[in-house]
Amino acid sequence: MNFFARAHRKNAGNQPIIIVSGLPRSGTSMMMRMLAEGGLSIVTDEIRRPDDDNPNGYFELEVVRQLKEGNVTWLKDANGKVVKVISSLLEYLPPEHQYKIIFMERDSRETLASQKKMLDHRGETYRMSDEEMEQQFLRHLAAIKPWLVRQPNMEVLYVKYNVLLAEPGPSCAQIAEFLNFPLDQARMLAVPDKQLYRNRSMQEN
Amino acid sequence: MKTLILGFDSFDPAVFEEMAGRSQLPNLEKFNQQGGYSKLEVCSPPQTEVSWTSIATGADPGGHGIFDFVHRDPATYVPYVSILPTRRSAVGEQFVPPYTAVTLFEAAADMGYPATALWWPAMFPARPALPVNTLPGLGTPDIRGKLGVGTLLTSDDVVLKKTTVVKLSAAGRDRFTALLPGPQTKGREGPQTINLPLSLDVIDQRLARLTIGSQQLDLKLGEWSDIVELRFKGGLLLNVHAITRFIATCLDGAIRVYVLPLQIHPLHSPWHYASSGSFSKKIWKDVGPYLTLGWPQDTTGLEDGCINDDQFLGLCQSIFDQRIRILYYLMDDFDEGVLASIFDDLDRVQHMFFHARMDIVQEWYQRLDRFVGDIRTRVDGWTGKYRLLILSDHGFSDFRKKVHLNRWLRDNGYLHLQNGGTDLSGVDWSQTRAYAVGLNSIYLNVAGREGQGIVSADQVEPLLAEIKTKLLDWKDGSQASIMQKIRLKHETYSGPYTRFGPDLVVGYAPGYRASSETGLGKIPATVLETNTDHWGADHCMDSEVVPGVIFANRDLRDFGGISFRDIPFLAIGKHLDQSNVKPPSQMVGEGQKDLEERLKGLGYL
Repeated sequence: MNFFARAHRKNAGNQPIIIVSGLPRSGTSMMMRMLAEGGLSIVTDEIRRPDDDNPNGYFELEVVRQLKEGNVTWLKDANGKVVKVISSLLEYLPPEHQYKIIFMERDSRETLASQKKMLDHRGETYRMSDEEMEQQFLRHLAAIKPWLVRQPNMEVLYVKYNVLLAEPGPSCAQIAEFLNFPLDQARMLAVPDKQLYRNRSMQEN
Repeated sequence: MKTLILGFDSFDPAVFEEMAGRSQLPNLEKFNQQGGYSKLEVCSPPQTEVSWTSIATGADPGGHGIFDFVHRDPATYVPYVSILPTRRSAVGEQFVPPYTAVTLFEAAADMGYPATALWWPAMFPARPALPVNTLPGLGTPDIRGKLGVGTLLTSDDVVLKKTTVVKLSAAGRDRFTALLPGPQTKGREGPQTINLPLSLDVIDQRLARLTIGSQQLDLKLGEWSDIVELRFKGGLLLNVHAITRFIATCLDGAIRVYVLPLQIHPLHSPWHYASSGSFSKKIWKDVGPYLTLGWPQDTTGLEDGCINDDQFLGLCQSIFDQRIRILYYLMDDFDEGVLASIFDDLDRVQHMFFHARMDIVQEWYQRLDRFVGDIRTRVDGWTGKYRLLILSDHGFSDFRKKVHLNRWLRDNGYLHLQNGGTDLSGVDWSQTRAYAVGLNSIYLNVAGREGQGIVSADQVEPLLAEIKTKLLDWKDGSQASIMQKIRLKHETYSGPYTRFGPDLVVGYAPGYRASSETGLGKIPATVLETNTDHWGADHCMDSEVVPGVIFANRDLRDFGGISFRDIPFLAIGKHLDQSNVKPPSQMVGEGQKDLEERLKGLGYL
């Protein structure tokens, strides 16, 4: 971690909470890893361990799943740090905090294919067709963007997963500017793994 | 926070998109290219005073209480102007603010920022207790306390529809005298008009010299005078100051001099004209005189033939120019807070020219576009973050037929007249179930609410449904629908004032509008009348017929449709009404369960 990053952390109490969000399998774990490499503190309990679907880890916090039930006390220590919160839980984040949200966007068919593979690995069944599920996700995304843009305590940066993989440099610079944080972009650039993406895409398709 | 709001009254999205498509509005088109343009959902009904108040408060009329240009007293059925209410007090009849809901300006001031609203409708009288600088717009009365009509001084014997006519008396060769009627005072024998003597010397066919009070003005034929300050003496201690402008329109044969409605003098106002008083005076002294009437572009003078098209447009231009000068003067010292200014000349121009002279209308769109270009140049020099919003309160549409809605109610058995009755004072209330007052409002004659109500509580819903169905089925002879949408009060409005609103909000189809007679509760002999007035276009239709616009120096595309409720948030970053910010889980509906099931399967819930 560089000097500026350390100095920045000292003032973290006044900083917004950084959220990485999006649909499951839209590249949120990769973004978490990039931000960690860039010098930001990640809020994770590492209960969910790396597996075939995410060999580099999930960077999740178990208690985030209880947002809807109102379990939010853990957020008081999250200023200036990064938490992963899937998009359908964003509306339960308490309004008294400020948030900067990096929202991952990925082609919906790729996302669905990746989800199905993960469901298979977990031994779960799925009753809805891909088309039906895609429509539900598109409806969800169509509802969440207008809601997010109207939240006075939330700033959002949309990052396209495929663009990030193809050419991570500009996206990293954009993220650093959005977070107003001196991220170590050289280390971040090493995270996107095109080979892994290509292998997965081939398997999933 | 630093926010500049430009209100372009009646700026229409269809006209914009058509002209922008032809590259005729390059400065506004730049917003579109950057995602900073959207149609704006406006409130119902899309009337100027209702809509700008909804924009300022982020609330529909149920939240601020202004439902229509004309309201009625339910006890007496007497119509009154909603934006100029009065209350009796120990010192007599006083104007009171037409609403008390919190505006974005007050909210900004509450957050510690300076806030200024110029020419915003329904802001008269000023609220001196609020830390918001205002010069009020629509609803500001003339010096008589009315909405204002001009005076025609003429050597002819003429009768005009609305304009006051004063006969010029010959007082020698090419010399005429008259008394200019001014404000009224309460005398022992009732109200007394204070007059100001004047004389007019016709120098030649192109020049006359007007002497009024101690002033002499040279009036060139067809040219507006500067703003003239007048003093009406009502007694030893009573002086009423007013301002106006004169124009000589005929000096050959018949003599005609037209006088704009006598307006409040900001330095000597009998009422709380502006907030603060020193703010309005400083602008008067530093920038120069400005007209104060809420509707200073004299459409009535044009409609009555007192001035011609060019003279009317010249007046609009001068008002526009002076408002720009005032805005630029304030922008010079604008470091933070909210600064807003309404420009309503386009509205008046469209009312008078939209139906037949689109070339004139389009020139005004281009004029506004050049103004925006100039604004962009100025704000480009600002440092730090700022917000720039340009918005309209509604669009515009043709007004080909006048709808006499009370006649329709009578013809359909909902309203009964006494013998000879032609307005609400001649209605047989013992048999009347519904009546119309205002330009978009129908009220039921509800027992216990109206003075002579007969509709019981259990009859209300079926009666509303019946009238709504019949109105929607109503066709013009050409089979065109007259109504676009009929809205029920409780489906349309939310907030503490909802119960005071009309029971049905009447949304006319393009081309149709309530007649002025309907607005005042009158009942003419026919139900539809072809509109042959100069006033040939309007916006008091259904809100979906005349959406507004918004341009912003930020990307608006994620909003998925912007409504008047969003404006406080866009302007000051704070919602004053949250009712349109529904959580995504409520928007997705039935599919939410499927989503949650999938997320559980993936281990995220």
